[in-house]
Amino acid sequence: MKQVVVHPERCVGCMQCMVACAVAHSRSGQLYTALAERPRPRPRVHVGAGLYNEGFPNRCRHCDPAPCLLACLAGAIFRDAHTGTVLIDPDKCINCASCAMACPYGVIRFHEDPVAPPGKTVAVKCDNCDQRVAQGLAPACTEACKSGALTYEEMDEAMRRKTAEVARSVSTGAETAAVPPALALLMAVKKAELSL
Amino acid sequence: MATFENISITEDARLLLEKTRRDGVETVWQRHDAQQPQCGYCETGLSCRICIMGPCRIDPFGEGPQRGVCGADADIIVARNLCRMIAAGAASHSDHGRDLVEVLAAVAAGKAPGYRIRDEQKLKSVAAEYGVETDGKDTLAIAAEVADAMMEDYGMRRKSLTLLSRAPEKRRQLWEKIGVTPRGIDRETSEMMHRTHMGVDNGWQSLLLQGLRNALSDGWGGSMIATEVSDILFGVPSPKATTVNVGVLREDQVNIVVHGHNPVVSEMILKACESPDLLALAREKGAAGINLAGVCCTGNELLMRHGIPMAGNHLMTELVLSTGAVEMMLVDYQCIMPSLGTIAGCYHTRMISTSDKARFPGMEHREFHPDNAEKMAAELVREAVENFTRRKQVYIPVQPVNAVGGFSVEAIVGALGGTPEPLLDAIKAGKIRGAVGIVGCNNPKIKHDYGHVTLSRRLIENDILVVDTGCVSVATAKAGLKVPEAIEMAGPGLKEVCGALGIPPVLHLGSCVDNVRILVLASALADALGVDISDLPLAGAAPEWYSEKAATIGTYFVASGVYTVLGPMPPVTGSANVVGLLTEGLNDVVGATFAVEPDPEKAAMLIRRHIEGKRKALGLSSVEV
Repeated sequence: MKQVVVHPERCVGCMQCMVACAVAHSRSGQLYTALAERPRPRPRVHVGAGLYNEGFPNRCRHCDPAPCLLACLAGAIFRDAHTGTVLIDPDKCINCASCAMACPYGVIRFHEDPVAPPGKTVAVKCDNCDQRVAQGLAPACTEACKSGALTYEEMDEAMRRKTAEVARSVSTGAETAAVPPALALLMAVKKAELSL
Repeated sequence: MATFENISITEDARLLLEKTRRDGVETVWQRHDAQQPQCGYCETGLSCRICIMGPCRIDPFGEGPQRGVCGADADIIVARNLCRMIAAGAASHSDHGRDLVEVLAAVAAGKAPGYRIRDEQKLKSVAAEYGVETDGKDTLAIAAEVADAMMEDYGMRRKSLTLLSRAPEKRRQLWEKIGVTPRGIDRETSEMMHRTHMGVDNGWQSLLLQGLRNALSDGWGGSMIATEVSDILFGVPSPKATTVNVGVLREDQVNIVVHGHNPVVSEMILKACESPDLLALAREKGAAGINLAGVCCTGNELLMRHGIPMAGNHLMTELVLSTGAVEMMLVDYQCIMPSLGTIAGCYHTRMISTSDKARFPGMEHREFHPDNAEKMAAELVREAVENFTRRKQVYIPVQPVNAVGGFSVEAIVGALGGTPEPLLDAIKAGKIRGAVGIVGCNNPKIKHDYGHVTLSRRLIENDILVVDTGCVSVATAKAGLKVPEAIEMAGPGLKEVCGALGIPPVLHLGSCVDNVRILVLASALADALGVDISDLPLAGAAPEWYSEKAATIGTYFVASGVYTVLGPMPPVTGSANVVGLLTEGLNDVVGATFAVEPDPEKAAMLIRRHIEGKRKALGLSSVEV
């Protein structure tokens, strides 16, 4: 089964995943009309800045066991038996924030949402784009990401690829750059600026 | 958010930053933090917003798209983006120059009350360069013809710009040979915008060559005209004592701050501040006088010609307002953060925008034109004085620092006894190893003023004369490098030469359009030695640059043969070819390259190595660095 896989070293910090995520979770599903919707759709993936201001796409890991699910006294958080995705039922959510306190990654937000009862603030997080996937589409963030920081692939395949990369990097005399020169140069300058 | 110590090396910035936190005022550093991470496609120059088949971006990892919708690859996209930066910078300086030419024409037509020809000598020497006959003509007639001839430089009738005649013969021949002789100031910017339209020039090398020509049309055209006409209208600068930092604001006086670039507005404000009526009104309101101070380059213009104090540079503009001591800030254009109106709203400060081409939120718009400037300035200064009684708590946490400014080329040559020979002799003898122009802005990516001050210190310690302009000049003045006593911080050779002449080891050459004074000085040195600019032990540096104008300045420095070290990285790393051309290939084209080094300690080493290399090639004494 395909999953969203995060490759942090490839994030260029463009935040296009955030825009695509918000649009995917809007009523209209279109950027220009989504901007006018109320409540305004919001992203469920959040790009943070690392020590050197490099980007990092922070999203729900759909942990198992999931601390948020265990902490949810209202029984609003559940796991989809088929996909393993951890989901929140906005009708049952009581906005108590227990899930956010339990979440080690800080990926649960509280706001009104197009799928929640009007005027009700609920817990919102990544749903693995289950509706898009049901239509045969890839999750919106992976479709938007052009640098390969967010991919949608078989976990086994991602693991094999990573293993091969690591194996090649430890070969004697190998000089495979972790990042291409375009970014390596930029990152070196940014680190130098910040170290002043 | 970094600590205040990590944000700025200056005491006034740190103390005022603390105050902005207490006052709940948001500054440029907080907004910079909120923008992190910044988009990697844009930072590498790999995003293209030129047409609406796009926007497009190239995946720097090589797996995603490698061409835009039109088919442009990384080289084309990076080159087009860089060239549009250069075009915007050239347009800005040159439009500033155009406004001055219009004032010159209005003065000649008797339609600019309050303005006059302050320096007839300069008018006549520039007239001679433009081939304008001066014998038997009155000053205003000459001014009219010079203004007219300059307008032609902006157009499409010329094969080459008039003031290129100031460049060494060898350099002009080189420009001709590689096809970058600028023909018209507006023409080159226009052609640059045309070439970067989808489906026009898709040779990244030919695009960058036009980028050089466009930058040259600024350096030897628009900016040079701006400086020359400013000298004609307001006087050729000569050394003046002044003071710098936020401490120049006075608790007991009405404080008026001018911000922006064009002396057309600030000169009239200065005149009004000296009016006996308004000074009497100030006393009536309980103030001891009217204190005019500058920030940014229009402040530098006034400092150069009148010794008006400077309250700060680019990143100080918000903090200056947070003193609560400014009755009025008047702005014209360029580098004026749109946040200023909001910040002024937290205090009693009145914000006035003055240019028909620049408006800002939270500012009152009072337009200056040549025909109403004198009257408008008097009105506004009166309103500033009246605002004094609304002043609340004031916080001016530091004492001002002394500095000397006003080193035009004329003044430098004058100090040398009328010829550049003594400077050349000192360079030949190795007492002065070479000279470096440090120019450009502040940028929240670099600790405020750290790049400027550290690089200047390292260079003068190693007997390299520093000339600076714009925001650099305020930084080094605040650090105490612009007084004759600063020779104590210089190496023995530079100390001896500057000491004998009674000048500081870091010379203030003016505003950012005044970078052309560096070109003129470099040309004079090259001509005296019979060599090209690229043969001289010179370098340029922009340790904290942020603006498109700075990109253009750096480019005309390099295209004129001056090796230039940038602090922050321009958005070009997405194309290894473009990076290679800028940092190596250009050596074979124009005899100079760019380098990028954010750490000023390392930049100083690069520059010293370059200067010693040039000395060696000239057969002068050189040392290993």
